[in-house]
Amino acid sequence: MKYPLKLSVNGVLFELEIPANRTLLDVLRNELGLKGTKEGCGAGECGACTVLLDDEPVNSCLVLALQADGRRITTIEGLSGAGKLHPVHEAFIHHGAIQCGFCTPGMILSAKVLLDRHPNPTEREIREGLVGNLCRCTGYQKIVEAVSSLVNRKD
Amino acid sequence: MKKYSVVGHSVPQIDANEKARGVAEFVSDLQLAGMLYGKILRSPHPHARILHIDPSKARRLKGVKAIVTAEDTPQIPFGPRTEDWNIFAVEKVRFIGDEVAGVAAVDEDTAEEALDLIRVEYEELASVFDPIEAMQPGAVLIHDKERNIVSEFKLNKGDVDRAFQECDVVHSERYYTNQVYQAYLEPMACVAHFDPTGKLTLYLATQIPSMTRITYAKALGLPLEKIRVVVPYYGGAFGAKMETNLHLAAAVLSQKTGKPIRMVNSREEDFMAGNPRVPMYIDLKVGAKKDGTLVGKEVKIIGGSGARAIYSMAIVATACYRVDSLYRFEHLRTEGITVYTNTVPTSCFRGFGNAQMTFALESSLDMIAGHLNMDPAELRIRNGLKTGEVSIHGWQIGSSGLEECVQKAVEASGWEEKRRKKRFSRGIGLACCNHVSGNRAFSREFDGGAGIVRIGREGKVLVYHGESDMGQGQRTVFAQIVAEELGVALDRIEVAPVDTDISPFGLGSFATRGTVFGGNGVKAAAQDAKRQILEVAAEIFETIPSELEAKEGKIYVKEEPERNLSFEKVAEICLLRRGGSPIVGTGFWVPDTVLPDPVTKYGNVAPAYPFACQIAEVEVDTETGHVNVLHYTAAHDVGRAINPQATEGQIHGGVTQGIGWALMEDMVVEKGKVLNPDFRDYVMPGPLDIPPIKSILVEPIDPNGPFGAKGIGEPALNPSPAAVANAIYDAIGVRFTELPITPEKILKKLGSALDIGHLHRKKF
Repeated sequence: MKYPLKLSVNGVLFELEIPANRTLLDVLRNELGLKGTKEGCGAGECGACTVLLDDEPVNSCLVLALQADGRRITTIEGLSGAGKLHPVHEAFIHHGAIQCGFCTPGMILSAKVLLDRHPNPTEREIREGLVGNLCRCTGYQKIVEAVSSLVNRKD
Repeated sequence: MKKYSVVGHSVPQIDANEKARGVAEFVSDLQLAGMLYGKILRSPHPHARILHIDPSKARRLKGVKAIVTAEDTPQIPFGPRTEDWNIFAVEKVRFIGDEVAGVAAVDEDTAEEALDLIRVEYEELASVFDPIEAMQPGAVLIHDKERNIVSEFKLNKGDVDRAFQECDVVHSERYYTNQVYQAYLEPMACVAHFDPTGKLTLYLATQIPSMTRITYAKALGLPLEKIRVVVPYYGGAFGAKMETNLHLAAAVLSQKTGKPIRMVNSREEDFMAGNPRVPMYIDLKVGAKKDGTLVGKEVKIIGGSGARAIYSMAIVATACYRVDSLYRFEHLRTEGITVYTNTVPTSCFRGFGNAQMTFALESSLDMIAGHLNMDPAELRIRNGLKTGEVSIHGWQIGSSGLEECVQKAVEASGWEEKRRKKRFSRGIGLACCNHVSGNRAFSREFDGGAGIVRIGREGKVLVYHGESDMGQGQRTVFAQIVAEELGVALDRIEVAPVDTDISPFGLGSFATRGTVFGGNGVKAAAQDAKRQILEVAAEIFETIPSELEAKEGKIYVKEEPERNLSFEKVAEICLLRRGGSPIVGTGFWVPDTVLPDPVTKYGNVAPAYPFACQIAEVEVDTETGHVNVLHYTAAHDVGRAINPQATEGQIHGGVTQGIGWALMEDMVVEKGKVLNPDFRDYVMPGPLDIPPIKSILVEPIDPNGPFGAKGIGEPALNPSPAAVANAIYDAIGVRFTELPITPEKILKKLGSALDIGHLHRKKF
């Protein structure tokens, strides 16, 4: 049995028909081809599948696609419009905060939300803000440095 | 120190932009036309005889395209070291997670549903899970190996008994290093495609593309030429991503269906059938003179290989003797036994046995320094191998920055002052390590590295290598080396994914060898390409190549720099004058390493040896047992950092994994079953668990490394568990000899220590 689903993803409206048990992660990756959202654990523990649901960061592996019906989703692909990088992208690249890159899309989205809500976080607050995203390569240090570099930016 | 224009400068990874935007295609993202999805039916029993497999019901499920078992494979036993693997279990299963059957279906859900419909009848057998129990006479045999012993390593030098008698202090201890999981963020994954000509293309997340090809050809009964391995982006490895049956199961399913098959481990499968670290019991006895001179070392190690040997015997051997080239021991007795158990096969994890032994040795040295009332830093400096020395096993130390690492770490951490101003529950600890860059003993066939550098009409440079970038930034280091050699900007360089149809044969990324071997290989290739482009430029300028210089994207006459052409222009002229041929530079590098003697182990296993000193400062909460790592200093002899930013990134990542191992990470295995196969229960460091890490790059410029560089991957982790354990000892006076050092263990020890009045309780 399939159900109708309307999603606004990165500003584009999609109308789909999907079974009730499909996760948002599955639909983004396999129906819409948005492979920037990664699956690291499938259980909401690693944060690699983080997307923004109406500007709220969620583990898309824990959200049923139908729960997102009629709502607005931003994935990593939506953060770089027309090839232009978002400042969080630039900071991650510049500071060497990316190694294997598998946690990166989720980490960047969490960092963006953190900075949108708290433009002036302390180092401790940055670490707290990223606590839902695991990284096994970087030891977090250069990620924290990248986010710190954006504190109080004026754009 | 000589300065270069690209080498030695911090640059972002050349693929950071694609990764940041989420457009880099990882193995688990690949989608080929007509692709099916594979899943593996795994054994629920640690040890059982397979009586019957009935796939008929599963076969009838809509969407199922193939079900395969051992009968669909050539059943040729294989393995990287010992031939104790089958693609699917033959007659017996030997661990919970052992591969029994494979399913291909139109989607993953259908494939998983089909797994539930395959009926397997088992006859359960007795099982054994601990390596010490497994080697007792009468223990159930897992393979047909006497006492389940995979192999024994023995090495004696000097007269250790007499040496101990003459020592002023002899310290004995049993250590246990537990089984930990690499926990790369992308689970193991592959796509396999048998095309209609019978050629198998494997898109693999693997550290060893050329070597897997050889192992898999044997397993599949195929000639080598019928297998092509391609390595796309993949999400970390840390030693785990070498050979795996996942790849072969996909190949068999593709052969059966004629379709590409994608297989990705679930996180749970990755825990139960990955390649976690070899657990070891380490009995260590170390003797020293009262001036701190280390004299003798006796070690007996029992390592658990799990149900397949993979590389465990080499890992145990490494634990047995690599540290003998860190300090000047003269008398040694060494025994290492590797034993099968009915648990997940164990293998490589950052440090390759040296990490296990470094925990033990550096803990013991801390105790010896205490007995002798000597500064632990001074003890290391006194005994550490220096540049130009040859170790007891023949290892030629072309450069050693050990002493400088210790001095700089001591200085940067405030070691002396903090040790003077002691207060209970707060402590500082130090540990050192050595390592290899490459391992001659690991690949007996040959040693070396190679590269190909292709310069097209537009002057774009494409670099081919046979190693593997798992995220550490290897492509960027190779690009920097080639840019430096050719005198062009870094953005002119692209590094091709490894494709065994095109790339040179490479041993791969392990043993901290990528920078030295791959780096020297692509350097030689770049020099060959440069020779060719300068020959053509010499014709244009009517001079000889030695009169020319290639720098800053230009080729010019040294004495008359105004006579110049852009690198791109010369590349174009080159191609037009040579019938359309691009410049293809090839090159290789063969180090003068020496294969160790089979009995005495005397040889020279690596062209370069990295060293390190790390210092941890901790606060122990005596009420909760929680350890807070307050500060961390890591000084590493990296020869020369080709990309300092990436080198620091490796140090941060290694230290973080090391702190995780020291304090929290543990695969809890009961009766062969992993009880915590997920990131909720397998706790590893998050951003709040790790303090800012002060990394210090020590650059003695190695004579053999490219531009003097050595590797960094493994030494970044090796000393961390001991540094933390030594800091905890300094804080509360309790020595922990088993990893991880959890709050429960601390409270238990602290309770008993407080009871017997050895320590002053903190006042609240």
